[in-house]
Amino acid sequence: MNTLLILPLITPLMVAAVSFLVWRRKAWQKWLSVGGACMSFVWACALFESVRDGEILTMQAGGWAAPFGISLVADTFAAVMVLLTATMGLAVTIYAVRSIDERRAAFGFYPILQILLMGVTGAFLTGDLFNLYVWFEVMLMSSFVLLALGGERAQIEGGIKYVTINLLSSAIFLAAIGFLYSVTGTLNMADLALKIGALPASLTAPLSVLFLVAFGVKAGLFPLFFWLPASYHTPPAVVSAVFAGLLTKVGVYALIRTFTLIFAFTDVDVDNLLLTLAGLTMVTGGLGALAQTDARRVLSFLIIAHIGVAVMGLGLNSTRALAGTIFYLIEDVIVLTNLFLIVGIMGRVCGTFELARMGGMYRTHPMLGALFLVPAWSLSGVPPFSGFFAKLALVQAGLEVEAYTVVALSLVVGILTLVAMMRLWAEAFWKPSPYVVDAAQDKMQTGKMLLVPVCALSLMSIGLGIGAEAVFGVALTAAGQIDNANGYIEAVLGVRR
Amino acid sequence: MIVMLAFVIGGLYAAGLYMMLRRSITKLIIGLSLLSHASNLLIFTTGGLVRARPPIIADGATEIIKPFADPVPQALVLTAIVISFGVTAFALVLLHRTYLTIGTDDLDDLSKTDLAQPERNG
Amino acid sequence: MINAVISIFALAGVAPLIQRFAGRRAGLLVALLPACLTVYFASYAGVMMRGESVTQRFAWAASLGVEVKFYLDGLSLLMTLLICGIGSLVCVYGGGYLRKHEHLGRFYLFLLAFMGAMLGLVLAGNLLVLFVFWELTSITSFLLIGFEHEDEGARAAALQALIITAGGGLLMLAGFVMLGQVAGGNYDVQALLAQGDAIKASSLYVPLLLLIFVGAFTKSAQFPFHFWLPNAMQAPTPISAYLHSATMVKAGVYLLARLAPALGGSVEWTSIMTTTGALTMIVGSVLAFYQTNMKRLLAYSTIAALGTMVMLIGTGSEYAIRAALVFLLAHALYKGALFMIAGIIDHQTGTKDVEVLGGLRKAMPLTATIAVVAGLSLAAIPPMFSFISKEMLFEATLDVDSNAGRFRLILTAVAVLAGTMFVTVAGLVAVRPFFGSLKVTPKVAHDAPLEMWFAPALLAVAGIVFGCMPNTVTDRLIAPAVAAVYPNAAPMELALWHGLNVPLGLSVVSIVCGLVLYRAWDALRTRTKWTQGFSRFGTEGMFAAGGELIECLARWQTAILQNGKLRIYLLVITGTTIGLTAYTMRRGGITFPAANFFRTDVKFYEVGLALLILAASVAAVRSKSRLGAVAALGVVGYGVALVFILFGAPDLALTQFLIETLTVILLVLVLYHLPRLKAITGKRARARDLIVSLLFGALMTTLVLITASVEFDPRVSDFYAAHSLPDAHGRNIVNVILVDFRGLDTLGEITVLAVAAIGVFALLKLRPQAIKQRAKRKRRQLKPLKTTTRGEESPL
Repeated sequence: MNTLLILPLITPLMVAAVSFLVWRRKAWQKWLSVGGACMSFVWACALFESVRDGEILTMQAGGWAAPFGISLVADTFAAVMVLLTATMGLAVTIYAVRSIDERRAAFGFYPILQILLMGVTGAFLTGDLFNLYVWFEVMLMSSFVLLALGGERAQIEGGIKYVTINLLSSAIFLAAIGFLYSVTGTLNMADLALKIGALPASLTAPLSVLFLVAFGVKAGLFPLFFWLPASYHTPPAVVSAVFAGLLTKVGVYALIRTFTLIFAFTDVDVDNLLLTLAGLTMVTGGLGALAQTDARRVLSFLIIAHIGVAVMGLGLNSTRALAGTIFYLIEDVIVLTNLFLIVGIMGRVCGTFELARMGGMYRTHPMLGALFLVPAWSLSGVPPFSGFFAKLALVQAGLEVEAYTVVALSLVVGILTLVAMMRLWAEAFWKPSPYVVDAAQDKMQTGKMLLVPVCALSLMSIGLGIGAEAVFGVALTAAGQIDNANGYIEAVLGVRR
Repeated sequence: MIVMLAFVIGGLYAAGLYMMLRRSITKLIIGLSLLSHASNLLIFTTGGLVRARPPIIADGATEIIKPFADPVPQALVLTAIVISFGVTAFALVLLHRTYLTIGTDDLDDLSKTDLAQPERNG
Repeated sequence: MINAVISIFALAGVAPLIQRFAGRRAGLLVALLPACLTVYFASYAGVMMRGESVTQRFAWAASLGVEVKFYLDGLSLLMTLLICGIGSLVCVYGGGYLRKHEHLGRFYLFLLAFMGAMLGLVLAGNLLVLFVFWELTSITSFLLIGFEHEDEGARAAALQALIITAGGGLLMLAGFVMLGQVAGGNYDVQALLAQGDAIKASSLYVPLLLLIFVGAFTKSAQFPFHFWLPNAMQAPTPISAYLHSATMVKAGVYLLARLAPALGGSVEWTSIMTTTGALTMIVGSVLAFYQTNMKRLLAYSTIAALGTMVMLIGTGSEYAIRAALVFLLAHALYKGALFMIAGIIDHQTGTKDVEVLGGLRKAMPLTATIAVVAGLSLAAIPPMFSFISKEMLFEATLDVDSNAGRFRLILTAVAVLAGTMFVTVAGLVAVRPFFGSLKVTPKVAHDAPLEMWFAPALLAVAGIVFGCMPNTVTDRLIAPAVAAVYPNAAPMELALWHGLNVPLGLSVVSIVCGLVLYRAWDALRTRTKWTQGFSRFGTEGMFAAGGELIECLARWQTAILQNGKLRIYLLVITGTTIGLTAYTMRRGGITFPAANFFRTDVKFYEVGLALLILAASVAAVRSKSRLGAVAALGVVGYGVALVFILFGAPDLALTQFLIETLTVILLVLVLYHLPRLKAITGKRARARDLIVSLLFGALMTTLVLITASVEFDPRVSDFYAAHSLPDAHGRNIVNVILVDFRGLDTLGEITVLAVAAIGVFALLKLRPQAIKQRAKRKRRQLKPLKTTTRGEESPL
């Protein structure tokens, strides 16, 4: 039963290891990855099924009882995120099969992608703070390599900022772990939750801020997000897609874990701080998106704007708000991955990502247009797509506690997103192409294989809207577990707080 | 000694950050290395210091004699050292590559991917 | 009802296929379903007359308050009949109008999707479900306005309409959520209507009312949001006839009428709505006068008409509600017909400019006849149905709360102004193109084919028939609708002839004035053309300027924030860290370690070591040569390793020595290829960086001191010490931790190292061709590898 916790980690590792052994056989690596991604997906589904009703699975690595060994923990929230990771992993792997060039494939693109997914999964499942650092590094290292593979000037330039800023954040994270260990003598997150309660807030509050900064950088919060718009649009679409969908969300996940489990003391100050940062993140991201003239850059800034919305739910700090955040994360992962994949196809068709030079696809690629509109509207919070319900939950939660400013900002961000997305649509699809293009040739360039994951993800956006009740139910279960950490602590340590 | 080391750590952080804030790629690398030294030393120090009592159970003994240095921070630092070596090595090659590709070691020249309207004359 | 909505959406999905296979007959085929639905809904009229309602429900997202509840009462019935009835006519008409258009299939798709959304909107018995359909109408409208997508004007108009209506919709959502919270988390419309007094007593009443108003006013093109509607005339004419006159723009009016029992009756409600409605009537009437494009003429008169309805609902008397609903029906009939006529003229002659049209009655006799009948309706000449509605309008304005006598007069005057303008517009659209001498048009005019004239003819005739037998209509449609808005309404009796009274007099006045204005239109318009210069101070200009301002702000803030300078990014991030930590420390109070914590014994060689490390790090910073800096870095690393040795960590020290040596070798190898160090930044920048760096260092020192002074809980390390030998069979506890207790970390660590190795390998090997060449070129240029061009010393 509890092997379910280790399988999603071991599978990509094995795939990567075998891929390294068959280094010269690119086709083998490719199909091994697809197979591995399918298997991870199955494990993740099984894991999700076993915890969706609110059970918490734990596994003590090496058999050493918590808090002495490293605990792997899957509560509903973690399982949802793992499932999302596996789903996106499968989608991007399939997309990569047809879109990644031979040179990248020759330098281990597929195994490194698997390791990236393993790092992300590990970060979601671990119940140990230092282990979280290790998974972060696994994830970062493989993302560095994925970003820099290819070595174009833009990738190098973006890569430097990405690497440097993330290393700074890792250094802060590491320091924060050191401080926390020295005052509690433990690294297990459930154990930390117990110990922190006994310490004075004057000691823990500054430490919590260090975590806020470290994870805020990864999540792309204002004013720490600079690395994101500098780098996310530079690698191939499939890499951007997996970054956009998952990496920032790991930051948000870590923020949620840190501030609901470890620093669960109800310090209103930190909540207000989070709300302020969330508001500023929304505005700067939304406005940033308006100022862009490149399709991928527009999306990069929208990632930031919507991270703000997700963190808003954490700042509001009620079960309903957290459920809204979880729903929002689910939607955001799917939609942003999808948008980057679609924009990737659009770029292939038009030969550019510059909005001014795109166009004419309404006539030549109506299907792609329809596939674009679904995530675009979902991201903007237009009903009946999934984004609307997530936003609705957050608005309800926000108005309940009379946080009018941040609710207003979240609505404004919806409008800004809608403007940015519909402008992109008008430019790329409606506007006649500035060039004389041979439509028949364009159709060939799209490639049916690329549309498979895109279709699947768009259908998911619609499905999550139609099945909003079920999704929100899961989100409420997860939020309930997060909001009342006793269940988590008991599952890991076997004692009550 | 903790007090002394606290200042050493602060000094290392300050020096590392200052180096990272320069415009030169070379200084950036050195800054990053200083920063990782600072982090390692920090974990080691805050775990508590015990002079010359390594956490090793002597041959023949069945248990360790107290006091002994806390083995946990040591293990953490060992992991962190290796990880940061990997990362630094990669960063080093990346920065070297940057220089080859772009032909400058001035970080301020690397602003193309950030600006909304990229210059077209590059 | 649910099946009706679903069937429309399903038909929308297959409409492009129908178009592909049925060709010309597709319009008729597609129109069948809405026509059947018209009959289906009409069959409920009897139920409605008995004052009953029909409800269907199923859960959707119940925990969010979204329960799909469909509710049919008199008001929804009136709207559904308009939607399905006119909808089926528009399908037929659109099939003729766009016969040769390459995207006709998509036209049916969007049109039917809109129809489904609109049906859902008026049937929704839950506020949030209503909102879902509300936004759906906005986005389908967006797709339809931009239908002629290669025209830049159409794209801009589509975006503008979407921003205004969807934006207003989002604010309305906030209003809905507040309303639901006031009502205890209940979003059921009927339940809300029963809680009117509690809602009005709530402190949130005014904000939620304003938010809902914004939603309704944007959708129904009320001043100051009216301008999107004339611009939306970029849509194909069938769309203008359907969405932008008969149905969608009435959604706001519908919503206000629907919520009137819950929200209405307060001072805020009455004053805001009557003022907005009256202003809209004035703006629409005045601006209509200056239009020469038939569709824009009609659009502005639609704005005035919508203003009339909002004003009437705002005044809230039983009579006003009745007048509003009669007007809503009459307006939908004649305005739909007139838009279709305008479309026929445009389609057949190639222009819709009334100035270049004239004398078409000979070439298009049928069209001319229909136009005149519909025009008589717009001008509210008896025996048209609209004449009755006009009479009722005047009566309602004269009837307004008699205490506010002045207010009553103003409203009546505005109503007369609007009535006058309707007459003028009717003359311009329905008379002028057909009479007088024949003018040359881009295309030689012929009468339209059957599928195009059938729909307007039916609507125009309905205007006469309803006018002649008003009570048949009101009993079945209007009275149940009024009952939904104004419970306990008295039975009503309508007639064309009310006797000689003030409303009749006002009707005559407006008709006469309208005719005078029509005659003097050319002269008056040209003579007062200068006033058009003021239009840029209008609300559209303000919105455009606002949009421009936001875009400027966006560009400015992005240029400031995302400035491309890595060091500034790092500075901001560390600055934030320092600032936030200092903030929480200041708020939480900080407990420094006790004095005896500082009085620990220190060996002299330890002090020396500490000083050595510090000195080496300063040297690394200050070094002017690459090798010097690397050497200093090496000293720091070895110094740290010595600390590890002194404090019982031999394994650590060993690793540190090894790694440091490797790093230094690597650095020397790489740095050999990099240029020499130079001080490029200015003094001020250096001072600033130094201060931030020292603050950061000080922060870390402080935190080390504070945390180290807290008593340590050795539970975990004691466990390791106790279990290392017996359970894990290792004497070196650190090693046991690495390979056993925390083996997972080591697994991750090895993975990182492996990936890093691949990355290094790839970066060294994988070079794009272009880069390789550029690098070669650069190297040739820059031999010997020394410096690159740099800007002047900058303060940053």
